[in-house]
Amino acid sequence: MNTVSLLNAKPAPRRRDATKAYCQASAVLSIVIVSVILLTLLIQSLPVLLSGDNGLFGARWNPDEGKFGIIAPLFGSVFVMLIATIIAFPIGLLTAIYISETRSSKLRRVIKSILELLAGIPSIVYGLIGVAYLNVWVADLFDLQSGRIILTAGILLGIMILPTFLTLTEDALSAVPQRYRENAKSLGMYRHEVFKGIIFPQAKVGIAGAGLLALGRALGETMAVMLVIGSLDRLPSPLFNPLSSGQTITSKLGREVGESAFGSVHFSALVFMSFILVSITIALTILSHYFLTRKQADV
Amino acid sequence: MFKARNRRHFSEQCFALAARLSLIICAGILLFLLGSIFIQGISALSLEFLFTPSSSFGKSGGIFYQLFGSLLMVLVAALLVLPLALGTALFRNSYNNNTGLAHVMDQSLYALNAIPSVTYGIFGLIFFVNLLNTGISWFVGSIILAIMMLPTVTLSSYQAMAAIPKIYHENAAALGLTRTQIVRRVTLPQSFHGVVTGLLIGLSRAIGETAPIMFIATAFSGVTVPQSLVEPVSTLPTHILELAQQSTDPQALQNAWGASLTLVLLAATFSGLALFLRSRLNSEGHQ
Amino acid sequence: MSLLNPELGLIRSSMFQKSILGLSALILAACSAPEAVNVSGSSTVLPAVSLAADAFVKETGISVVVNAGGSGSGFNQLAEGQTDIGMMSRDITASELEKFKTINFTRTAIGRDAVVPTISSEIYEAGVKALTLSQIADIYSGRVDNWAEFGGPDRAIFAVDKEASRGTRQIFMGVVMGNPKAETPGTDLVTGSNNEEQTALTQSDSGIGMLSFAWLNEDVRGLSIILDDGRVIAPSLENIRNGSFPFVRDLLVITRSDMKPTAQQFIDYLLGPEGQDAVEQSGYIKVSE
Repeated sequence: MNTVSLLNAKPAPRRRDATKAYCQASAVLSIVIVSVILLTLLIQSLPVLLSGDNGLFGARWNPDEGKFGIIAPLFGSVFVMLIATIIAFPIGLLTAIYISETRSSKLRRVIKSILELLAGIPSIVYGLIGVAYLNVWVADLFDLQSGRIILTAGILLGIMILPTFLTLTEDALSAVPQRYRENAKSLGMYRHEVFKGIIFPQAKVGIAGAGLLALGRALGETMAVMLVIGSLDRLPSPLFNPLSSGQTITSKLGREVGESAFGSVHFSALVFMSFILVSITIALTILSHYFLTRKQADV
Repeated sequence: MFKARNRRHFSEQCFALAARLSLIICAGILLFLLGSIFIQGISALSLEFLFTPSSSFGKSGGIFYQLFGSLLMVLVAALLVLPLALGTALFRNSYNNNTGLAHVMDQSLYALNAIPSVTYGIFGLIFFVNLLNTGISWFVGSIILAIMMLPTVTLSSYQAMAAIPKIYHENAAALGLTRTQIVRRVTLPQSFHGVVTGLLIGLSRAIGETAPIMFIATAFSGVTVPQSLVEPVSTLPTHILELAQQSTDPQALQNAWGASLTLVLLAATFSGLALFLRSRLNSEGHQ
Repeated sequence: MSLLNPELGLIRSSMFQKSILGLSALILAACSAPEAVNVSGSSTVLPAVSLAADAFVKETGISVVVNAGGSGSGFNQLAEGQTDIGMMSRDITASELEKFKTINFTRTAIGRDAVVPTISSEIYEAGVKALTLSQIADIYSGRVDNWAEFGGPDRAIFAVDKEASRGTRQIFMGVVMGNPKAETPGTDLVTGSNNEEQTALTQSDSGIGMLSFAWLNEDVRGLSIILDDGRVIAPSLENIRNGSFPFVRDLLVITRSDMKPTAQQFIDYLLGPEGQDAVEQSGYIKVSE
């Protein structure tokens, strides 16, 4: 909502309006920062893109031989994200449904505050929980030598994105006006029919936005994944085996950036992976905002 | 409980059961997370722990300099981001007529928000540590954290400004105030709550960040109070990271939990303050 | 509600001003200080240097900042001027020297150590106490996958590797596979520091990995090496001291020719009696008395 009346106010006299100039400069700086970041990443990616035979889209990563295959970390990132969404989305959606049906607004506020608290737990603490508990439990459960596998990373990530997805989905569900539910109830519909027929169609845009945001967060998470994934730069065999160690883009970056020399092709390959990641997460976020802010169609 | 009268009813029962089960699972996860952090951490936490420096790289001693480093970096980051976010939000709210420009600004902020934290670290490494040759510097860490906080603080400020009732501006304009005068006397004071809330939420996130600062601002041991802007500091998140990699050593693990509890409490304090402020703002309302 | 809102007063309030002042004073404590020494690199050399640094700080008041990251990372930071001393548990490679042709590096050995092929205590107790180098190579190349082939229990071998830039790995692979940068298709898990590797081997009951001698304990036991002539060399202090254990290496600190005087002071300290004591206390072997 723009303050229309404000804009009709008399503009400042001709002499320099310091405040206005300052605000203009700030706004420009904010836009410039994003461009600088993206441009820097792109430029630093060029060496590896321009160097000839480097197996960039292959599966072997051996900096010494000049092979920089990014397929394994890319696959790992997607695989982990899939597991995380399989865990977080159903549980999140169903719990959100339950919460949004709660009458007491005070209880809702309490739950929302707790969720915000949970979403505020730093990722490194999740990593510690993964290392101290999850690794051991998963290893015991599946009788493995080590719990540092793709599945553990997926579960941990699922737990991490759950609060965020839950809150946003609940917002979307609660935004559906109460009278729709009341009308449906008066027609004798059961709750699951109310949800399927009335609420979900109205809220699905908001839920999609929430899901995309959660996906973005899952892809971009570093610390928790880095400690529990096993850092193995290989495609799992068989391909969809979550019980093997693996590698994600973020985990690889977290571990190798410090080890590669600035300016080398190795470093450039890492920056390129980062650039791909950023492109995906920015696209997901912009898409999710588009969904989250779309006006609801009237039934 | 499960006597279904017909197929519709059966579906209903399943649905209700699934929803309740999910709630229980969520509550269980929540209890597990908060409980483990609290129970494990509380045995390591003491005034002594908070105020003694660490030794034998974290396995014994406390977390004093890590605590100091974390607080220093995020507070300076807050100082850095506040003017920039305020200016940007003010521009978006009070000085901008161009919807295209507004759209670009919004998308830029969303884009900033979407950049993964490890990428911020890489950017800091390339741009500051190498290209500008600052070396490992806590101040660069603050700059990067400030950039990360920018979307949150800007959007929160802007929302607060946009929520100011039109009547205030109409009154002010009727009194003959210029745009800048309105900004100074109406917009800023009225949206201050929102600005501070955004800042606190940003702080709460920034203090827990590891990936952006671990390449560019931190060292593991030997750091006390930095004597210049271009020295490293120790911070809580990177300390926890080091200790987490020694997870079979019970001493190291316990210290990791203590540091984690401290970190979570700090983040919770910031966001708790933000929630408190926000509810105060809502209850006060605009008369 | 009055336009003269009390909130605006906050910015002008004395409390706020005082705290801004205090914070600025803190930040502006940016003045000269005795030159701090920055050290970073190998996680193997880290404990010894860290211990010595604690004593050095107490004695001289010069602060020493220590960071981990691995031998490769330490070298890079040193070469790029971000640190004063690089710790490496292997020598500088030719390609690394190639990248930084213009810089003169000085290597100083401050201790001696061995990389020991390490196995989980359960396997050790089940009878596998020694292997030949080619048998270890078979494990990491993926040619052998079960401990039964070596007289152990019928269990899959869980091979733990390290990140490629780690000095420990390069020494290990150099001896076992003949190539410090060998690829290892038989690996099941990759870890970073010695600590992480030790954790992984402790948690597993059929693992093999590579650890610095100082990290061996009851849960992670060192293998003896069966040489071609049939001799069995145990990873004992004596065998490391006299160099008969195949994986002996020097623990190095690397400096550039333009280093700070305080950095030189610290290196001299490391080679002196207190520094060498720290080396020994960390489980390594002194290079000078």
